[in-house]
Amino acid sequence: MSRRKNSESIGNDSEFGDNYVEEPDFSDPEDFVDDIAEEELLGDILQHKPKETGGFDSIIVVDGIPQVAKEEKKPGSDQKTRLEKLQNIIKKLYNSYGTITNEYWPIDANNKTKGYVFFEYKRPEQAAEAVKATNGHKLDKTHTFVVNLFTDFEKYANISETWQPPEPQPYPDLGNLHYFLEEPDCFNQYAVLSDAGGSTAIYSNSLPEPTLIEERKLWTEKYIKWSPLGTYLATLHGKGVALWGGEKFGQIKRFSHPGVEFIDFSPCEKYLVTFSPMAESHGQPGAHAIVVWEVLTGQEKRSFSADRTAAVWPALRWSHNDKYFARLQRVERKDGPVETISIYETPSCGLLDKKSLEVPGVRDFSWSPSDTIISYWVPEVNYGETPARVTLLKIPSREVIRTKNLFSVIDLKMHWQSSGEHLCVKVDRYNRAKKEKDDTIKYVGVHYNFEIFHLREKNVPVDSMEIKDKIMAFAWEPVGSKFAIVTSVSNTSNNVSFYCVKSGTEPALLKTLEKKACNHLFWSPRGQHIILAGLLNLNGVFEFVDTNDFTVMGANDHFMCTDVEWDPTGRYVFTAVSWWGHKIDNGFWLWTFQGRVVHRHNVQRMCNVQWRPRPKTLLSERQIKNIKKNLNKYGAQFDLKDKMRASRASKELIEGRQRLVKAFTEYRNKCIELWKEQKPRRLQLRDGVDTDSLSAGGGEMEEESVELIVKKEVTIIP
Amino acid sequence: MIAYTTDKAMGNPCEIFVVDSRTADGLNAADPIVKIPITNGPKVTSMLWGPLDEYLVTGHESGEVVQWDLRSGKTEGKKTIMTHEHSNKINDMQLNQDGTMFITASKDHTAKLFDMATLEPMKTFKTERPVNSASISPIKDHIVLGGGQDAMDVTTTSSRQGKFEARFYHLIFEEEFARVKGHFGPINSLMFHPDGKSFASGGEDGYIRLQEFDPAYFEFRFDY
Repeated sequence: MSRRKNSESIGNDSEFGDNYVEEPDFSDPEDFVDDIAEEELLGDILQHKPKETGGFDSIIVVDGIPQVAKEEKKPGSDQKTRLEKLQNIIKKLYNSYGTITNEYWPIDANNKTKGYVFFEYKRPEQAAEAVKATNGHKLDKTHTFVVNLFTDFEKYANISETWQPPEPQPYPDLGNLHYFLEEPDCFNQYAVLSDAGGSTAIYSNSLPEPTLIEERKLWTEKYIKWSPLGTYLATLHGKGVALWGGEKFGQIKRFSHPGVEFIDFSPCEKYLVTFSPMAESHGQPGAHAIVVWEVLTGQEKRSFSADRTAAVWPALRWSHNDKYFARLQRVERKDGPVETISIYETPSCGLLDKKSLEVPGVRDFSWSPSDTIISYWVPEVNYGETPARVTLLKIPSREVIRTKNLFSVIDLKMHWQSSGEHLCVKVDRYNRAKKEKDDTIKYVGVHYNFEIFHLREKNVPVDSMEIKDKIMAFAWEPVGSKFAIVTSVSNTSNNVSFYCVKSGTEPALLKTLEKKACNHLFWSPRGQHIILAGLLNLNGVFEFVDTNDFTVMGANDHFMCTDVEWDPTGRYVFTAVSWWGHKIDNGFWLWTFQGRVVHRHNVQRMCNVQWRPRPKTLLSERQIKNIKKNLNKYGAQFDLKDKMRASRASKELIEGRQRLVKAFTEYRNKCIELWKEQKPRRLQLRDGVDTDSLSAGGGEMEEESVELIVKKEVTIIP
Repeated sequence: MIAYTTDKAMGNPCEIFVVDSRTADGLNAADPIVKIPITNGPKVTSMLWGPLDEYLVTGHESGEVVQWDLRSGKTEGKKTIMTHEHSNKINDMQLNQDGTMFITASKDHTAKLFDMATLEPMKTFKTERPVNSASISPIKDHIVLGGGQDAMDVTTTSSRQGKFEARFYHLIFEEEFARVKGHFGPINSLMFHPDGKSFASGGEDGYIRLQEFDPAYFEFRFDY
């Protein structure tokens, strides 16, 4: 058997051998020089060429470790030496970033550890993560880790001696970003997001009709937002945020933050904060949820990870001048989590004084709109054992300006007045608190207090005022010293009360308007005028009130209205029905501040309409007074302009109409000609009946009077 | 001659029939003068005769308007012109008095005025609600539109919101100048009286309203 196989195989071989032709030699001739570089041919494959890891990329150096003497281990004892304890603690920390394959604890001449240790990880990425996460980690009060990659040392040692200045980059001229302020007739701009977010349009609020400035489809993927001084328009996309501005709304800057959901500008437009909840779970390692960017350069200044418990946006709150920002955090400490207010200063974005403000139990804080002062409150502990407290703190000195203890507090809300002169604290108070079976607390006898802090007075006096009814809404007058509240007297009707604030006395009630269908208040940004709005379940009724004499200037309604937006000058108001709230009838109406409807626009699937904000006026107080005095003179000029504009508009309208009529009558004449020509055909089709001259309902009625004898009666007259 | 269309139902496609009404046999659908099947296209929702019985104009569920030439053959009907001006279903089409123009009312919230011969759209009248019916006045340059919400949504929203009004627009300027309230359900059908002095409207609420015009209506003039 085997032999036959053998012979077969040999046979095969010989067959092959017969067919075997010598292959040509494919190797290059000896003196052939390859004139194509390897990179060009195989560039993309070369990138994946497995490189020898220098071996040093996965090593990190941790400096700043306490120096511990290397003790001799007592034979037979289980107790760990101090060195071993230290090693265990540190190793536990670093094990979480990857598998440590090697460690080296150098010891100096005195048998003490030198204070630094080398760790080698299995992979360079683990080492990089460890560096990022633990650099600056505080082991205890006196020891802070300084962690670096081993390769970093080489890099730093090799910095060239001669310093070359960086090349100046060409200055991209962005044009006049404030062109919209130079509008000669002072028309404000507004942005309309319609078509469920698919189309964004910018209009100028000109009279008599708004003019379209720019319209783009799919300008944003989520929504748009104006910057606080109106310079930029921010759009949100899947990859990040883009800023647009200038006359042509060109792109000014781009910020890459995948999955961004919310953005916030700092009040002076210097910084932009973006929040992407997905960044930490889905993004690259090292990506953070909250990022602070500098707007002018586009650089990322600092990033934070999102606190799981914080559910309120904006998470970072800015002081009015952009110098500080602060956030509320729960920090893990040795004896449990502690609430802190961390204040950072710009432009370094470092923690102010390198220390957060530890305030156990702090619930909320807010900045004053005109000074760098923070107000925060701490709720009461154990049903009044320790009262609730409101504190005013000056930054950066951390000097406590004022505190106030409040008793029997359920909840608290702080409202600053926009000029920073007053702070109103609304306190919900109870008479008695009962602890229910399931550990919830039931409050009996809830009533409300307002504590008004007067910041401009010496020692910040506080005035108190009590309100019995439930408070639905509160609003300060933006310029001035009044505030308005909506109290609900019964289920259907609310009262609106206006108070005037003066230091030294409790707020004085100026007027109460009764039985108003109102659940929101909108003051004009210039003060004095207010809209009492009944939104949501009250179906959009409005009353325009002049608070100088409390007259109702106008009352009207916009069915199912969801938003009310005053323009930054206080002359016009939009009321809008947003597609996000209500699926049909979307559009916005423009009103004057007196309550007269100017325009009604119906826009398909309109999401929202936002006025473009204006920066603060550059005029001084005296100049403003001067203008008000000479208003008559200016008034005459404006009246003339308005008349000319109106007549021009009507002239245009009339000319337009005349053109339309001419075109149409020409067309109709042609049709009538054709129709007359077709008349014989028509007669033929209709058996000779001339339908053209038939009129309906007939002039062909004839009247006929018929007399009928109904009854015959004979009476005999004697 | 009678022209009628069948709906797409029970497996039968939508078809246009033209039958002879003079004889009893002619009315039998088996032997029509012309039969036009619409197998792949959107179904017909409205139809008008052309001025000299030469062609039909049909409005479809997709918003198309098609002119069919009837003279060509028995079972053919040649599509002569087709336009797609509306983006949603055409609810109604009505002729003007001399048959040279017609107006279409569509679910896409607009009504359009077309020229009969060329199917060219000449005017567009915009509203915020689906338009169910439109009519051209025989004596003045006015048109009236009626519509409202989809019948399905009516009971879930208040009657005020529904805006069940007949709206009058100027034919040439496309501007609305008057509204007549009264229906509390969507208006499904409207027509001017042939003498132009009144109009009739029928609605989902089950009421037919006959409205005569005041002298003010006849004296109303647009400035131009």
